[in-house]
Amino acid sequence: MKKERTYNDKMHTLGRIWDIIVLVTLLLVPAVIGIRLNVYPSASVIFKGLMKVAPLFWVAGVVEIIAYTPLLGTGGMYLSFTTGNISNLKLPCALNAMETAKVKPGSDEGEVITTIAIATSSIVTTLILAIFVLPLRSLLPVISASDSVFAPALRHVLPALFGALGASYFVKHWKISILPISVMCLILIFAGTMTAGNLIIVGVIVSILGCLAFYKLKWL
Amino acid sequence: MDFKQDGFMIIVGLCVIAVILGQSIHFLVKAYKQGKKIGIETSTMKSTIISSALFSITPALAIVATILALAPSLGIILPWIRLSVIGNLMQETSAATAAVEALGHGGLTSEITDHTEFTAVAWVMALASMMPLVVLPFVLKRLQSGMKKVTGKSDTKLVDSLSAAAFIGLISTFIARAIIGQDTGKVVDGVVKSNNDGAGVMSVATLVSAVIFMLVLSKIAEKFKLRWLENFAMPISMFAALGVAIILTQVLPESISSLEWRPLTACIGGMMR
Repeated sequence: MKKERTYNDKMHTLGRIWDIIVLVTLLLVPAVIGIRLNVYPSASVIFKGLMKVAPLFWVAGVVEIIAYTPLLGTGGMYLSFTTGNISNLKLPCALNAMETAKVKPGSDEGEVITTIAIATSSIVTTLILAIFVLPLRSLLPVISASDSVFAPALRHVLPALFGALGASYFVKHWKISILPISVMCLILIFAGTMTAGNLIIVGVIVSILGCLAFYKLKWL
Repeated sequence: MDFKQDGFMIIVGLCVIAVILGQSIHFLVKAYKQGKKIGIETSTMKSTIISSALFSITPALAIVATILALAPSLGIILPWIRLSVIGNLMQETSAATAAVEALGHGGLTSEITDHTEFTAVAWVMALASMMPLVVLPFVLKRLQSGMKKVTGKSDTKLVDSLSAAAFIGLISTFIARAIIGQDTGKVVDGVVKSNNDGAGVMSVATLVSAVIFMLVLSKIAEKFKLRWLENFAMPISMFAALGVAIILTQVLPESISSLEWRPLTACIGGMMR
């Protein structure tokens, strides 16, 4: 008798199919633009531009896959990587959803809740972007002008997001939190312009090593 | 009409978001059905949907702002497409800058009018961000079973702490940037321009307000057993903290509200070296 496929297996199959559809769509965009404009940029120019950013982006992409796998679940992983903006939107959103629904990453319930959270988040984000780019296009410069009333809010989305999200984690896991925050501040004192994107990898490694050490010392 | 935002480009954009919405809706329906099957309460799933939707509004507006930053040189449609699919707030600006520079075209402030240049930038932005999609279908399943083997043998308390630690590591980088980070700046047409991300009075005030709102709201929710408030504490705190940022900017003298600990001008020499 054929073994029944689990929900997880089905999500892997679906995820792969959508992954390929999105990958093809992604590459079709520049292709159709080129065909429409009847221009074919030389491979060497594209390669030159690509080499400036691709090595960093490609390595970061692979590291992100490893870092997020235990947290986001199968459906959540495929969906996050096709829709993007993970560390600043999809991941915090999924973690907040698991926290309030009181489910754990990696459990069957966690899998369902993360997928629901990330799918909702990507629908809302996609719609907001489309609404602002198409019908509200004329409003855009007014809202984002550096002297608009909303400018300070748009500039400080990240501190507000991570402050609110971090608060409950820091209270619950204050012992684990002290080390990575101090180390990150120290690094920034000497290398102030390091972007969060580059710092994340160091932050996660420091935090995990610290947690392991505390566990061995029975401080947790 | 400008070829960068004519009807054709808009149709391309709409096709792309149709694909993204298609996948999201498909996954949402699948997960919802599975949730019902394994006995998750409908109310829990519904409040997950509402709170995730609210949660996404302001970060989405920040992404809109990034689209706008790229619009002067690339038009509004290409940045919109790129940030709707795999795009990333932090990466797209540098990908576009690198592509434009490789073409020998100053920086991102001047408009791209050449068809070949525009197409080349579109290629670089797409190719630069495709890696996770190429790798994911091959590795995710293996990675998950590998991780399960490791964590399966360990103490559950350690596994829980480690997954919290991984996330705390991530949050702490953003927190540290808000406390002490310096403006990352960018060189546009030979001039160093602010990226508006240096830490100062406002970033610390926003951060601290968000933490306080969150702690107070969670306490209230817990004390009065307000389940709905528990679900929305996070998005409400975020909006409230952004409200504080807006109000403080209005009421504080500009010399205080615009104060950054390590302003860009003081470090230009260091950056250019």
